[in-house]
Amino acid sequence: MRVLIRGGRVIDPSRGLDAVRDVAIDGGIVRGVAEHVEERGHEVIDATGCIVAPGFIDMHVHLREPGATHKETIATGTAAAVAGGFTAVACMPNTNPAIDTPAVIAEIEQRAAAAGFARVYPVGAITRNREGKEIAPFHELATAGAVAFSDDGSTVMNPRVLRNAALYARDVRGPFISHCLDDELHGDAVMNEGPQSVRLGLLGSPGLAEDIVVARDLLIAADTRKRWHVAHVSTANAVEIVRWARSRGTTVTCEVTPHHLLLGDDLFVDYHARAKVAPPLRGPDDAAALRAAVRDGVIDAFASDHAPHTAEEKAQLLSVAPVGFSGLEIAVGAYAEALPDLPLERFVALLSTNPAKILGVEGGTLATGVRADVTIFAERPWTVDASAFYSKGKNTPFDGRRFTRRVVATVVGGRLAYHVERGIIERLAYA
Amino acid sequence: MHRSKRSLLDIDSLTREEIELIIRRSAEFRESAPSRSLLAGVPVLNLFFEASTRTATSFTLAEQRVGADVISFAPGTSSLGKGETIADTALTLRAIGVCVIVVRHNESGFATRLAESFDGHVINAGDGTHAHPTQALLDLATLHAEFGRFEGLRVAIVGDILHSRVARSNIVGMKMLGIDVTLVGPPTLLPDAFAAKGLHIERDFDAVLPRVDAVMMLRIQRERIAASLLPALADYTIGYQLHAQRLRILPSHAIVLHPGPYNRGVELTDDALADPRSRYEAQVHNGVYVRMAALDLLVNAAGAVA
Repeated sequence: MRVLIRGGRVIDPSRGLDAVRDVAIDGGIVRGVAEHVEERGHEVIDATGCIVAPGFIDMHVHLREPGATHKETIATGTAAAVAGGFTAVACMPNTNPAIDTPAVIAEIEQRAAAAGFARVYPVGAITRNREGKEIAPFHELATAGAVAFSDDGSTVMNPRVLRNAALYARDVRGPFISHCLDDELHGDAVMNEGPQSVRLGLLGSPGLAEDIVVARDLLIAADTRKRWHVAHVSTANAVEIVRWARSRGTTVTCEVTPHHLLLGDDLFVDYHARAKVAPPLRGPDDAAALRAAVRDGVIDAFASDHAPHTAEEKAQLLSVAPVGFSGLEIAVGAYAEALPDLPLERFVALLSTNPAKILGVEGGTLATGVRADVTIFAERPWTVDASAFYSKGKNTPFDGRRFTRRVVATVVGGRLAYHVERGIIERLAYA
Repeated sequence: MHRSKRSLLDIDSLTREEIELIIRRSAEFRESAPSRSLLAGVPVLNLFFEASTRTATSFTLAEQRVGADVISFAPGTSSLGKGETIADTALTLRAIGVCVIVVRHNESGFATRLAESFDGHVINAGDGTHAHPTQALLDLATLHAEFGRFEGLRVAIVGDILHSRVARSNIVGMKMLGIDVTLVGPPTLLPDAFAAKGLHIERDFDAVLPRVDAVMMLRIQRERIAASLLPALADYTIGYQLHAQRLRILPSHAIVLHPGPYNRGVELTDDALADPRSRYEAQVHNGVYVRMAALDLLVNAAGAVA
């Protein structure tokens, strides 16, 4: 099947390209990006007035399958992905069972292929059952298809275990992704510690709970020479620690979420849990530092930490309601809202080229001969309506918020998976 | 849900004028018992998820004295939040005919969440470490009975501010009324994050004592030791206990408040309890009248105030 993406402004950071171009696709492969491509039986996607970019990759999502399919399935989560402009996602291993055996990876890949929306790259666990005790079978997991390793949702609290895991896995493809929150300092906190938590009488988690683990993990990264990635940095200190580690030669990358860039710890006045998330939403100074860190290059990737839950779960009391909320379908709008002045080339790099590089997966480029994963977006104001999400998790603190940047179409493997006017187009079987 | 009924969730659910009105009315009730018809036949539910002796008794008595139909229920902390949602519970209670819920719960924000779904009046009788507005009202009533004014009074609140809903509600109320508030305690129990406009934070109790009109001592709980927030209680007393020597530097006109229940020998000594400046009994006594006045304001003056 031949597809022609006509007349869009093509931004491909992998080649420094920023020009109005046609993109020719055949057999699921990019055949060329040229000023004019003759239409010969192509299905034409009109991209006039739009940006055409290498497919966006969300390197931090929770698909909940296996184990919690009442919150999300691989099918609904990947439908949400393409609706949010993502042609691929990396799914975190806090499933039940955890992603700590090749069998679970095989199951996820099979379900993702059957669903056929976005590509799914499983992230394997660092420890068995994410318990922080025995290290995971890294070679087996990598061979089965794990692109990275993380106990996301839990911190590997024992530094000996983490160090041994990193040493053992040093030559295994794929970085360690650390979720940084010290269990003891975080405790049963429901929000950020600061003037807001003190005023509301809610238990707060200090920024220190994150900073101390980021510092520890990057020292372990330096010690073991394992490639490292810090998930969802949320404090000014965490950013500075990443900057410092990198300055002394540690191979480290990091990501930031839309909510930490844009929201703060002032969303708990009504004692609802819709903004409860880990790490917690911080104060305004931290959010400003994160935006600055995106601009100055310390932050490498945007990642949504899509963490769907049911409405009933999120409606519980703050102390018992689970952390997280859906992110895939608001991400593009929210990033642009947080950083309206960010050059588009950098915006695209943070969403495609860089995550592809960090995960070591194909994508992040529109070079001739690559799989045709393409995201088309435009400046087209829209209002978030969580009830209309493809995700089962219909809660977000951004509900009702007005954004200006919007995904217009998502092309996965050369087939139109989503179009803003037509919704999810079809289920796509991809190789 | 559209809610038409007013609730008392924290002191700032009230205007300054309303606080003064409640205190004035409570003084009137103290002088002469009001008609039992003020809330005649109004179904009031006391819903105490967390154990309480003084507050529950005080509310019950207040409700009876204004003629309400009183129902008391202690469901235990964990029975809600599982299965039936807060909203379900609120709808059910309203359907049964409950008009006022007086609620205590160990989770901050519980009263707020209940009020959001309950089309009646909610009175917060203490939620976690958040608020305890009727306690603050009775503390304010006690101050007013003593000094006849609020503006310019200097009050120190001493101890475990972090975990105190009484302190939080008093801070809100006292600031609204122009009282000069100083918080005193060690940084683990009085974090720097409390710093706010019009609020003083002091670590040196002895420096504060000579210049206050009232000192409010908060209960210290043993759990703070296990949580590594405090060393042995004996160490705490060095800095923050109100004892005989400190009573000597407390001005003669000043009063000592304690929300109770107090820990003899911890935050204060027998000397402090026996001191003629102690107003512990007056506080408890005022509690009943303040709660009568608050019930009356919420239920009967709902239409008259914004």
